[in-house]
Amino acid sequence: MGMKIDMEAAEVAANLVVAQGRSRWGGTGLTMEVQHHAGGRFKRPYIRIDCPPQHWLAVAKWLRFDAGVDHCSMITGIHWPEGSDERRWEVVIHLMRMNVIDPPERGNWVEQVVRDASILQEEDVPLEFEVSICLPDTRTPSVPSVQQVWVGADWNEKETWDLGGIDFDGHVGMRRVLLPHDSPVGYHPLQKQHKLRYHDFEEMYDDAQGFQRKPVDAGKIK
Amino acid sequence: MAEGDWLDIRGWVEALSFAIADNTVGMSRFWRQKGTTADILTELIMAVVVFGLIMTTMLVLLWIERKFFARIMDRRGATMAMRSLWVGEGGEHVDWYGLLPFGTGAPFRWLNRWLNKVAGSDHEVESVARVRDRSYHGIWWMLPGFFQNIADAVKFLTKEWMVPTKADKFVFEVAPFIIISSTIMLFAFIPLGPHVWSANPDLSLLFLMAIFGIAPLGVFFAGWSSNNKYTLIGGIRSAAQLTAYEIPLLVTVLAVAVLSGSMNIIEIVEFQMDMDGWNLFLLPLGAALFLITMIAEVERIPFDMPEAEAELVEGWWTEYGGLRWGLLFMAEYLRAYAACLLFAIFFLGGWEPFGGNLVAQYTAFIPGIAWLLIKSWLMFAVFVWVRASLHRVRTDQILEFGWRWLLPLSLVNLGIAVWLRLWVWQGEVWSPLVPGIITAIAVALFVLLAIDEDPESLEGRERPYSVHVKAGPAGPGTHKK
Amino acid sequence: MAEMWISMGPQHPMTHGLWTLRVKVDGETVIDTEPDLGYIHRAVEKIAELRDFTKFTTYCDRLCYASANTWSHAYIYAVENLLEVEVPERAEYIRLVAVEIQRIASHLMWLGAYCPDVGNLTAFVWCLREREMMLDLLQELGGSRLHYNFPRVGGVKRDLPIGFAQRCRTKINLFLNRIQEYEAMLDESTVFLVRTQGVGYAKPEEMVNHGVTGPNVRAGGINYDVRWAHPYSVYDEVDWEPSVEKPSIKGADCYDRYRVRVEEMQQSARMVLDALDKMPGGADTHHQHGDEAILAKAPLRAPEGTSGFHHFEDSRGESMFYIVGGGEQRGKFPYRNSIRSPMFITIPYASKCMIGYKVADIPAIMGSFDPCIGETDR
Repeated sequence: MGMKIDMEAAEVAANLVVAQGRSRWGGTGLTMEVQHHAGGRFKRPYIRIDCPPQHWLAVAKWLRFDAGVDHCSMITGIHWPEGSDERRWEVVIHLMRMNVIDPPERGNWVEQVVRDASILQEEDVPLEFEVSICLPDTRTPSVPSVQQVWVGADWNEKETWDLGGIDFDGHVGMRRVLLPHDSPVGYHPLQKQHKLRYHDFEEMYDDAQGFQRKPVDAGKIK
Repeated sequence: MAEGDWLDIRGWVEALSFAIADNTVGMSRFWRQKGTTADILTELIMAVVVFGLIMTTMLVLLWIERKFFARIMDRRGATMAMRSLWVGEGGEHVDWYGLLPFGTGAPFRWLNRWLNKVAGSDHEVESVARVRDRSYHGIWWMLPGFFQNIADAVKFLTKEWMVPTKADKFVFEVAPFIIISSTIMLFAFIPLGPHVWSANPDLSLLFLMAIFGIAPLGVFFAGWSSNNKYTLIGGIRSAAQLTAYEIPLLVTVLAVAVLSGSMNIIEIVEFQMDMDGWNLFLLPLGAALFLITMIAEVERIPFDMPEAEAELVEGWWTEYGGLRWGLLFMAEYLRAYAACLLFAIFFLGGWEPFGGNLVAQYTAFIPGIAWLLIKSWLMFAVFVWVRASLHRVRTDQILEFGWRWLLPLSLVNLGIAVWLRLWVWQGEVWSPLVPGIITAIAVALFVLLAIDEDPESLEGRERPYSVHVKAGPAGPGTHKK
Repeated sequence: MAEMWISMGPQHPMTHGLWTLRVKVDGETVIDTEPDLGYIHRAVEKIAELRDFTKFTTYCDRLCYASANTWSHAYIYAVENLLEVEVPERAEYIRLVAVEIQRIASHLMWLGAYCPDVGNLTAFVWCLREREMMLDLLQELGGSRLHYNFPRVGGVKRDLPIGFAQRCRTKINLFLNRIQEYEAMLDESTVFLVRTQGVGYAKPEEMVNHGVTGPNVRAGGINYDVRWAHPYSVYDEVDWEPSVEKPSIKGADCYDRYRVRVEEMQQSARMVLDALDKMPGGADTHHQHGDEAILAKAPLRAPEGTSGFHHFEDSRGESMFYIVGGGEQRGKFPYRNSIRSPMFITIPYASKCMIGYKVADIPAIMGSFDPCIGETDR
């Protein structure tokens, strides 16, 4: 028979983390609440954190070492050119508490950790986290890097800067990963000023090969 | 002395060249040179005959490689065009014979029905049936795919020849010639039958093994001169693994020579025929060692590190193309062919029929060359079998294997040969007990080693083959620490 | 020999796709590596901002040619979280069958590609032969051979075809027998063990911290699987258990990563057989397209301020979609669609795993992590 975690235990565990977080981070402008996925068979709880950028590194360390969040899934950079004043840029970070315990060792071999998922309680329950960091309008959006906290965030941050243009303070070895290495400085295609579709013209379909594109110096040089 | 067979090619050629010499030089004022001329002519004609025989029969090797390998892999494509004549694609019959007038196609229909019944493609799972549909398992004697080799040759001939810009052009051009010429030279000393050979010096075995060792030099030249990092690594691997298998190979061959009391290949065969005992049954360990080291010598899986296509693209011959590549490829197969022929000669009694004298009296009409070729082709099938079922080992593993196992075992084998020759052999035919006992011991050892696996001890021990080196991040001079 | 950099890729037999691994070697020993990705970046996330939710499924199929179904399902689950859609239970079962058959096909593709990496071509053709059976099954479901566009928001494109259950059981049972052939070919071959055991050690804790997921992390003795940790489909009702390896204390080596995938194929086969038995309404009934038993009504637009995300157990690890609603055309398009690719995170770690091993181990280690560049570059 298949296994799954107990949904009520997940609910309890999520509320526990939120209670701890609120007592630790109360008054810093950080909000934390339990939300639920809206679709699917199970309305699974996840923890939504709205974090001011200046506290992000400390919050990350708290999540990593106190709340046991050991896995950084994904970092998303969003550009809101028409958003509210305090949210022109947003970084959304998805974390998971995989709750990995180091497998016990016996002789030269590691023992398998096979546990019945349905009896997991409180700290042992895997949880999903969604952290949102909003930045005001700026030409140089930047948030602290958590590369040292979760190594898995390394390439996620590279990608977020590469495509979305949001920089990470303290990130070692930032470089283009998906775009060519010689892409122009400041060119980050997921920012909203870069459009695939103009009035009556869709670049993807109407000029897929780019034949009609004119060079930037068209008309200046004879 | 074993009798020669009726296919006395060398005798015929000699007679022919003497007749020619008699009627040309012998008629002139240079008549004293008649004998020399006839000898030179004989050797020339025999060289051409042997070369032609080798080249034509080598096509069988390529065919075995293609067909047997494909059959093991269950990848029996490339011949579906022929089979579709009688099965059609997707199980649909073509029924072209139905169009013939007056019912003359009826025999074809019967044949077709019979073939479909015997080797049809019904399977309960239709995709399995579809795969089998693409395959050829009907008329094997039509040798489907045999003439693909000729098409391949034409393709290589018509390709452009390109030398990399920064390659060392002279060495790059010379390297294939070293490899190909030394490979073809091998066959000067390999007899194909009692009367089919082109040179027979007293120390032909020594010549042969010396020439076998030349090609790795060419490989190293080719790898270095291509100015490519992959070819360089391939060439250096070739040089590095050379010592690991060449020495056990030579010691094993030496054991054969000791047992037969001769360094002449024809005499080694004749010793086996006269003494009624193939070396396979007298030196089974030697046969295994010879097989392993020869696979390494001809660079086939599992020992083809110089051309490991997974990590080195195509190893030392990455930069070769066109006809050079085709010839190198041919040289590769020629070396494999030589290895098979040598195995048949050293261990399988050469051109003696299977079953020895019992069979020989009834099969005298079959010339010895046929037996030798069949034996070597079967050996090549073993090579293909090994290639299809094993993976490629690593460079350090072949070195370790060669020095730690092959070399001591080959010395043990040499000791066995010396013991057999000096103390067991009485100067006459082997008593059937000697090969019988040795073979029984060998089979028992093989079975014991094959089944002797203790799963519990395997469970408890650490992974035995780890070679991890503590290597820090790269920096100037880190390799010296 | 002096140290030198070797550039493996973008066209190289080791790469399994279009990327470059720059390797610094000292003789035959690897002392530094540097992956370089992005050769087939197709700007899928940008394209998503101009496609409505159903149209983008086809792009998800094309994220990974070896495992198309899992990707489009991951996307559809995220969209269902965004649009608040309840899926009929029969549709969930059909999805499970489709995804697990796809997982078998993907692992077979991996095994087939891995054997040439360590020098054997035979198992490659054997695996592709069995993969063809799985692709036939998926073709019956989705209508095409590689890119199925099978799931819909709120259900699936069509019901199981008539007679599908029978054919599926036959093929899965045949496949389970054929796995024994692979084990005879690989596990009992000393040369294969010599090449894979003790090579490419990956520590479990390190893998989690580096973001490695899926079979790779389960090879390290960690029982972590999105399918039970963040349950989403009917995985709690069918018969399976996560396949977890027992590595040595040095970590999971290539052999562990090979074993875990073989066992996972067996578990997937078990799941498919069981799901066919437990299918609500019976596996032999056939509903018309768009019947409410297999397709629920779903809204077309996601208003501003909504977002949905979903972790999904892909064949290669945890894939994930994060979709922000409220894009162009009053929310018909997403404002932002972000994709987590498991291999994008794993490839840097796998490259680190190679340091200290031989050049010949590069394909053995890299291949054991199952890279797929289509999803990596997006």
